[in-house]
Amino acid sequence: MHSDPMEGHTAKAFDGALTQLRLHTVGMGGLVIDQVSTAVRALLDADAALAQTVLSRELQVNEMERAVDREAFELIALHQPVAGDLRMATAVSRITVELERVGDESKKIARFASRMASGEPQGPVRAVARYLQHMAELTSGMLRDAVRALDESDSDLADQVRARDSELDAEFAAALRQLLTLAMQDQRNLGVTIDTVFALKGLERIGDHAKNIAEQVVFIASGRDMRHKKAVGRASA
Amino acid sequence: METAVANEDAARNAPNSTPQSGSATPRVSIAVDDTRKVRTLNVKAAVDNLSFYYGQHRALKNLTIPIAERQVTALIGPSGCGKSTFLRCFNRMHDLQPDTRYEGSITLHPDNLNLVGAGVDPIEVRMRIGMVFQKPNPFPKSVFENVAYGLRLRGLRNRATLAEEVEKALRGSALWDEVKDRLQDSALALSGGQMQRLCIARALATTPEILLFDEPTSALDPIATAKIEELISTLRDQVTVLIVTHNMQQAARVSDYTAFMYLGELIEFDEAAKIFTNPAKKATEDYITGRYG
Repeated sequence: MHSDPMEGHTAKAFDGALTQLRLHTVGMGGLVIDQVSTAVRALLDADAALAQTVLSRELQVNEMERAVDREAFELIALHQPVAGDLRMATAVSRITVELERVGDESKKIARFASRMASGEPQGPVRAVARYLQHMAELTSGMLRDAVRALDESDSDLADQVRARDSELDAEFAAALRQLLTLAMQDQRNLGVTIDTVFALKGLERIGDHAKNIAEQVVFIASGRDMRHKKAVGRASA
Repeated sequence: METAVANEDAARNAPNSTPQSGSATPRVSIAVDDTRKVRTLNVKAAVDNLSFYYGQHRALKNLTIPIAERQVTALIGPSGCGKSTFLRCFNRMHDLQPDTRYEGSITLHPDNLNLVGAGVDPIEVRMRIGMVFQKPNPFPKSVFENVAYGLRLRGLRNRATLAEEVEKALRGSALWDEVKDRLQDSALALSGGQMQRLCIARALATTPEILLFDEPTSALDPIATAKIEELISTLRDQVTVLIVTHNMQQAARVSDYTAFMYLGELIEFDEAAKIFTNPAKKATEDYITGRYG
């Protein structure tokens, strides 16, 4: 069970610290979601400027991770939270790690996009553009809902995010088959093909991070530890 | 440790205090975490349907709690919830007040003595159940005499045995090294923390089966508090401890089991680790997280 986050503590400073912690984590989530979609757009359009945007914002993501983690640490030291509040503080620390890794995956895709913009052959990316686009939409959607679930302490929404990960895995497998066929037909672009596989794998990993965030939200909201458990139920999106 | 399948909700929210028969100290099972795992505890005292009245006022309402043997059970709840009233039932302190009444039972094991039974002598109960109060209350006597007092009451006269028992109790309360050279000094010359440990030694000297603590550190500084908490942790090897505290962190630190009470009722009883990480009831969560009132 979880106390309604809108219901205040007797100590208002504690309320303020918890609210700030949640808002800053959600804010970091917003930036990271934009990193994913911008990086994939940069790749699909071979757009150097967009890729550079992602790379320069990566420092901001890292700084946010440090700041939110410090806030969670101080909240534990100064307010000695228990029960739902303690779960929030510890889970937020884990969530920032997941978000930072999503930022790292976006950075790698952006670096690949930079190389594409500087004249690398576009065949492999073109061949799986539809998959890249779709996987970017899926991962962004999963991340958006995971962060919204955190903001609203909504474990049902978080459960749905967990269930959607398998769809992403299926897309990744299909894209991989497509690339393998291409590589067997034309081996001249093997280097770019491998980079494209890494980009697809990066998106698949981002889905895992979204799922991990959703698991932490379930933990905050209900105290249930969902790690290493199979998601049940139907994906609604 | 035994495991048994029990109804999780029923076990957690209303512990089965009808003990399994046939053993000296009966056992009950309570569910732990969100799995079907249960933990079995040995019951030193089974509180069953206990109600207590001050005149017409019903201060405790049908409490049912197993008090685990040689474990620390903490009672928490807002002021006026009845936790001190509950504690005082165990050594019949209420009998000193007129117009009070018990219903239900507190069965002390292994000899099935109902502590609040009408035919049970409160003096006999107090011989077996020790108590330490909020403010240290040593007798205006020497350190030695404070600890020896209860032993003398029980008829112990032999000087050598008395000295031996006094030393044992003072060692048990982690005070011996600090007072061994001043046993004949007045107890009132000790520091607050030392006086409280002396009171614990006084209670320990008569080898009680249960030791009751009523906010034992609320008048002490943080270092003296830490010493008492450490002492309570070590005492669980020899005695069953029941502690009332307003300090939530203290309950979390020292207790194995925690009971949350509100308006004379038991709201939730569980392992302390469960109560302080994921309580089952919203009222418990609100209280321990400071959202209460």
